[in-house]
Amino acid sequence: MRAIWYRCTVLVFLCALGGAAAPVWAQSQAFPVSTRTLKNGMKVLVQPDHSIPNIALYIFYRIGSRNERPGTTGLSHFFEHMMFNGAKKYGPGELDKAMEANGGSNNAYTTRDVTVYQDWFPRSALNLIYDIESDRIRDLTFDPKKIASEREVVASERRLSVDNDNFGLLDEQLWATAFIAHPYQWPVVGWMSDIEDWTMADLKHHFEMGYSPSNATMVVVGDVSPEEIFELCEKYIEPIPSHAPPPPVTTVEPEQLGERRLVVHKPAELPVLMIGYHTPRTDNPDFYALNILRSVLFQGESSRMYQRLVDKDQIALDVSSEVEPAFDPTLAIITAQPRQGIDPSVCEKAIYEEIEKVKDARISDEELEKAKNYRLIEFYREMRTISGRANTIGTYEVFMGDYHKLFDAAKSYSAVTKEDVQRMAQKYFGANNRTVATLLPESEGKAHP
Amino acid sequence: MKYESKLLRIFAPVALLLVMCPAVRAQTLRLPPHEKLVLKNGLTVLLVEKRGVPLIDVFALVKTGAAADPGGKAGLASVTASLLRKGTKTRTAQQFAADLDYIGGSFEADADADYSYVSAEFMTKDLARGLEIFSDAVLHPTFPQNEADKILAQSVDGVKSSKDDPRSVLGLYYQGYLYGANSYGRPAGGDELSLKRIQRDDIVKFYEANYASGNTILGIAGEFDPAEMRKQIEEVLGTWPADSVTSAPIPATPPEKGKRLLLIDKPDATQTYFAIGNIGTAVNDPDRFAIRVVNTIFGGRFTSELNEALRVESGYTYGAGSFFDSHKSPGPFEIYSFTKNETTIPAIDLALQVLEKLHKNGVTPEELASAKSYIKGQYPPTIETSRQLVRRIVFNEFYGLGDDEVNQLEARIDAVTPEIAKQAIEKHFPLDNLVFVLIGKSSAIGPSVKKYADKIDQRPISDPGFWPPAAGAQK
Repeated sequence: MRAIWYRCTVLVFLCALGGAAAPVWAQSQAFPVSTRTLKNGMKVLVQPDHSIPNIALYIFYRIGSRNERPGTTGLSHFFEHMMFNGAKKYGPGELDKAMEANGGSNNAYTTRDVTVYQDWFPRSALNLIYDIESDRIRDLTFDPKKIASEREVVASERRLSVDNDNFGLLDEQLWATAFIAHPYQWPVVGWMSDIEDWTMADLKHHFEMGYSPSNATMVVVGDVSPEEIFELCEKYIEPIPSHAPPPPVTTVEPEQLGERRLVVHKPAELPVLMIGYHTPRTDNPDFYALNILRSVLFQGESSRMYQRLVDKDQIALDVSSEVEPAFDPTLAIITAQPRQGIDPSVCEKAIYEEIEKVKDARISDEELEKAKNYRLIEFYREMRTISGRANTIGTYEVFMGDYHKLFDAAKSYSAVTKEDVQRMAQKYFGANNRTVATLLPESEGKAHP
Repeated sequence: MKYESKLLRIFAPVALLLVMCPAVRAQTLRLPPHEKLVLKNGLTVLLVEKRGVPLIDVFALVKTGAAADPGGKAGLASVTASLLRKGTKTRTAQQFAADLDYIGGSFEADADADYSYVSAEFMTKDLARGLEIFSDAVLHPTFPQNEADKILAQSVDGVKSSKDDPRSVLGLYYQGYLYGANSYGRPAGGDELSLKRIQRDDIVKFYEANYASGNTILGIAGEFDPAEMRKQIEEVLGTWPADSVTSAPIPATPPEKGKRLLLIDKPDATQTYFAIGNIGTAVNDPDRFAIRVVNTIFGGRFTSELNEALRVESGYTYGAGSFFDSHKSPGPFEIYSFTKNETTIPAIDLALQVLEKLHKNGVTPEELASAKSYIKGQYPPTIETSRQLVRRIVFNEFYGLGDDEVNQLEARIDAVTPEIAKQAIEKHFPLDNLVFVLIGKSSAIGPSVKKYADKIDQRPISDPGFWPPAAGAQK
């Protein structure tokens, strides 16, 4: 649907970290990143690019649903909505009105780990954007009427992306089963009963916990100079006092000791199959080899899984995998949609057989080269827009700990060997480490041919 | 017209900042220079150099689309496009995939209502290889029977899968209900019944009749050397036999009179998805700039009147809006939103009140200024990449809009006065004649939605097809 202003996608898939290899371009061409850490601890990264007269400004806060507790799940995401609903200078609704009247637009997304605010605007709106951002970071207000109506908006978002979306629904169940101790177990959007129950005190506490300037990284890409951005930051952002960051998440998910399975029965035309494997946090050295493995298995119509499930056996409509950037050990998720009349177990078996083949024998030179080419072109695709670059630079800085790793990714990918890829399959894609989720269509007296 | 969603910007306030930052120049929005060639075989070629990242985007538009699908065989143009890569004179489907993937290339082919398209993207270093793979699919497909069977069967399941997501099929029911069996009413991707009627022979005939050099516009954008590019194009596409095709014009469907409502029953739905509107405008409608400004205010951005009312003020929904899906002939105008079962009636009532208010009050000078600024400020990122540019330029050529569609956009948007906006509202935004399509839980909302129209139709979502129901489609 052309709902270009839908704000706040919860289950945003960040492919930003999937990218990179040989950024000859990134090293040699004229897009250097300038950085400064403000006195209040906020780090600012600036990359000038004058190819269009626009600017992308992203602020990454290191707070997400992993910082929540049972009873208030989804609060980070709800809070993200409330960041648009009024502060001291720009009252309820005024932020969006001012921004759009000056040619700008905005959005935000929340994940298990971060909350990211995005502004896209013409150069002429630069001062206004800083005025708005500093106003809401410093002096956010909570209007009980807005809390009530925004709660309904988030409930509608949940109905849209989870309750009435088979993939969203099964994904939620999968995480809730794969994790038994760590906060990754609950959904970013929150359980419906928690959505109905958040209080103003919860919101205030969340603001105090997560929104210290020192807990944020700002990335600005576009028609700017680093000097003017640093000046604006000094004027608008630096005076905002910092305070303690959120308490560390100390819970460690215990090792999974055997396969877990779950089934969802629901009226549906087609089944859905999802398999989640525990994989390490994003800054783990295995990151690159795991991505190459996933490329070999899932990327393109010549990939092993597509060839087997979609093309040869014709048992699935589609098969793919994803890993989101994460501060803590996370999941690599395989999703397949079985064809009508095909039992999901048939797809499951084929997927395991293909995984076993990678464990038993090394991939070919051609497959390795292909995977590296895929990662390289993906990198270029992300770097071709000011918004893509703002997101990628920020994601590397926040999840890898240093944006320079973006420029080293080339080396890191080209260092991956066939043996590494085989080792990844052996290390992570075992039966004891997986959770298998299946959505089975309820018949409702409906005859499926 | 999916490639258009946002527009341009004013730079007046930039002047002060220029003093601080000499790197910045006030510029008026313009398409980058590009070149148009017509090869001896009649193929129109548009070339745009776009530096920044070493990527090349190729986009071929074939001037025959899903609206030309024969009656009962909706999906033919789409399936034909999907099969281009599934076997050529020198490659099996698997070989094609292997060659394309090896260079990390992407390839996409499908049909929209007015046209079919084939697009590819690859790195500059793979120019020769990428162009050869692309042209192999366009010029030499063989449509193997087993691959056709596979794609057709997958497409049927694809339609079924989409019915599990009401968002993705609302527009298809809506266009079917609005246009009936007319060209723009049919689903471009086909439905569970029409796809089963398509034979390989239909596909071969569709390809032979329409994929002709004289019926195609080819655009290429990215980092390349123009002289080298011209040479390569001549080599790989100059061999395409000269052939011209005259596509039958698509007759305009007159707007609907009165009110009709279609309720699609999805028994497990916890919210209702709705579309309201009528026949809208053609891509080249002379009022399109005024319409764009008014629709921005009414339903085309976050602070639009629809989203303010249904989301920001009432909390009925996560999103509400409106758009004109313009085609060569008038395409649909649609107001849309979704809301939980219990608030279906208040939400639809409110959407209708917002529409009435637009007619009654028009737009204020402040709203007009804000919308113009928004359209202009948001436009540059829509022609930022070679992928976007190549489509923009090819569509400008196909729809006969020319470069001025971009280069004059700021001036044309600025020229919209309150009076012009008022005329656009009266002429193009329906008020009394409306078509409603709802997907939701019939047992919960069925009785109360009858108040919106004199004529009510109903279907379960699980019934094959969209609208109208084909003979024998009912279970």
